[in-house]
Amino acid sequence: MSTDLDARAVGPVHRLAPIPATGAPAPTDAAGAAIAVADASDRAARIAAVTIALAWHLAIDLPALPGVGSSPAASAVVAAGWLVTAAVGVVAGVRLLRGGLPPARRLAAVLLVVDAAVFAAVGGGQLFAAANWVWGGLVWFFPLVLWRRPVRWLLALLGAHAVIALAALLASGATAPADLARYAMYVYGVSSLPVAVFVGGVALAALAQARAGTATAALAVEAERVAAERVQAERRARLALASGTAEEVLAALAAGDADPADPEVRRRCVLAAARLRRLIAESDDVPDPLLHELRAAADLAERNGLSIELVAVGVPPELPVEVRRRLADPLTAALADARDWARLTVVTGPDEVVVSLVTPDHDGPDASGPPGPTGPREADGDENGPVEHVHERDGEIRWTQTRWRRT
Amino acid sequence: MDADPVAADVTGGRPIGVAIVDDHPVVIDGVRAWLASEPRLRVLATGDDPDAVLRAAPEAEVVLLDLRLHGRMAFDKLAELSAAGRRVVVYSQHTDPDTMLAALDAGAVAFLAKHEGREHCVATVLAAASDRPYVPPALAGAMVGDPRPDRPALSDKEREALLLWFQSMSKASVARRMRISEHTVKQYVDRARIKYTRAGRPAATKAALLARAIEDGLVRPEEIGTYRSQASTDRPTP
Repeated sequence: MSTDLDARAVGPVHRLAPIPATGAPAPTDAAGAAIAVADASDRAARIAAVTIALAWHLAIDLPALPGVGSSPAASAVVAAGWLVTAAVGVVAGVRLLRGGLPPARRLAAVLLVVDAAVFAAVGGGQLFAAANWVWGGLVWFFPLVLWRRPVRWLLALLGAHAVIALAALLASGATAPADLARYAMYVYGVSSLPVAVFVGGVALAALAQARAGTATAALAVEAERVAAERVQAERRARLALASGTAEEVLAALAAGDADPADPEVRRRCVLAAARLRRLIAESDDVPDPLLHELRAAADLAERNGLSIELVAVGVPPELPVEVRRRLADPLTAALADARDWARLTVVTGPDEVVVSLVTPDHDGPDASGPPGPTGPREADGDENGPVEHVHERDGEIRWTQTRWRRT
Repeated sequence: MDADPVAADVTGGRPIGVAIVDDHPVVIDGVRAWLASEPRLRVLATGDDPDAVLRAAPEAEVVLLDLRLHGRMAFDKLAELSAAGRRVVVYSQHTDPDTMLAALDAGAVAFLAKHEGREHCVATVLAAASDRPYVPPALAGAMVGDPRPDRPALSDKEREALLLWFQSMSKASVARRMRISEHTVKQYVDRARIKYTRAGRPAATKAALLARAIEDGLVRPEEIGTYRSQASTDRPTP
């Protein structure tokens, strides 16, 4: 754009302190984060359960198979049961590691059928021997197929396991007190560990979820506090800005120092009202804040009997409130001085926003600067790019222009 | 007005024939009244159908066309007339920049916002009759805010002159502000307009504007470069 404008810089040049970046840290989705944490800890428990069951099945149950069974048919049943159990373990494991849940009822039924078949095939002699692998090996698959189901399902399944074992015991006639005591020990021994693993997994996941939920809630509260503080600070700053002009006039009027009939006093009132109106508009949440603020000032001027034309070309980019303030404030002040008509234009170019107010020149005082062919011109710089302000009157028109350039 | 001596030259002292196309009789009457105050202009025919109006007055030198006819935007008719060499001045209440630039692309000699009034209307028609540009303030605003990536490259002075002209609507004020003569302000503005003859599809009216600008010394041929259509295949590929 024109460089000859820059060549005749007159008036003070202010540099303002950089504006702190706006926008509070966005609070994360608390529920989503808690679920993610719970999923992560649950996954560890799933891996542990799958590993224990399959390792037990391979390392302890498999070596026991060769010496089992009183007949080839019985041996075949026991081996088939081992294979079916392995298949169930693989199906449930794959489901669990992929994040899903295995079909609990169907797999539990399959495991119980295997349980009964193997007990029946093993027969009386080997009931308590290592060869009867279902005693201690099958129970590790119960937590697998019942993952994330209620604990009572697991207890019921373990109960069914105990009943099948008891039935086998009674069928083979091993009802001596020693056998029954051994039975009780076995039931207790094989049930306690799977229950502990199952309950532990559930508790860990619940705990992790609760902790994550607490942490995100605390973060959200903190973010809200920061945002509220910022809003309050902005509000206070706006109030200070507005009261600077309004308070003075009101105090003078109240004290009787200012005469409402004095055109200068009226002009100051109009200016203060225009500032207040613009500051109120500033905090509105609208898609196009700069135009909204200018429209607010134009509305007020129009109500005061000014014929005003507001023309906007292009859509201004999102500008920080401080830049908008510097773009709009000089025009608001100039509008308070305007007589008859005003032409307010906003042009958004590729890298700049230019706001201009043209009104007929008159002999009255000049709010925006001392009278003269070239008025003051200032450029305030900050990280968002400089805002340049030119005000001049040439006897025909008063011309106020602010211009922001992207740097 | 800007174009007086020349208008007399081209037409040999004869009044310039104007046709008005609008679907609102009250607007036709209003524009006719505006033009009637200028003795060098004569309204030959009016109506709401461009073809019928031009059949009635085939010798019309300038067509004032309301862009919105019977509820639809007449861009295709505008392009057809411009391609045939008709000098069409579009006037419309639709003053959003996109519409204005699209009208220029389609070959309109000038775009006039309906609210811009008598003075601009007469000046635009007189300039159009001699294939000279006239940029009313609203059009200047559209050109300076043109966001299209393939917009014509305007010089800093041209942009500044367009911007200030749009803001103040007074070439005298722009001249004082830019510390140049009013004549130079007009040159900057007109030169920017001539650069827009390269945008959009080619039209006989655009060629005429360009030729007259070169003849008048407003631009040199090398400043404008050769016209290159968006559709042509000789664009360098990246």
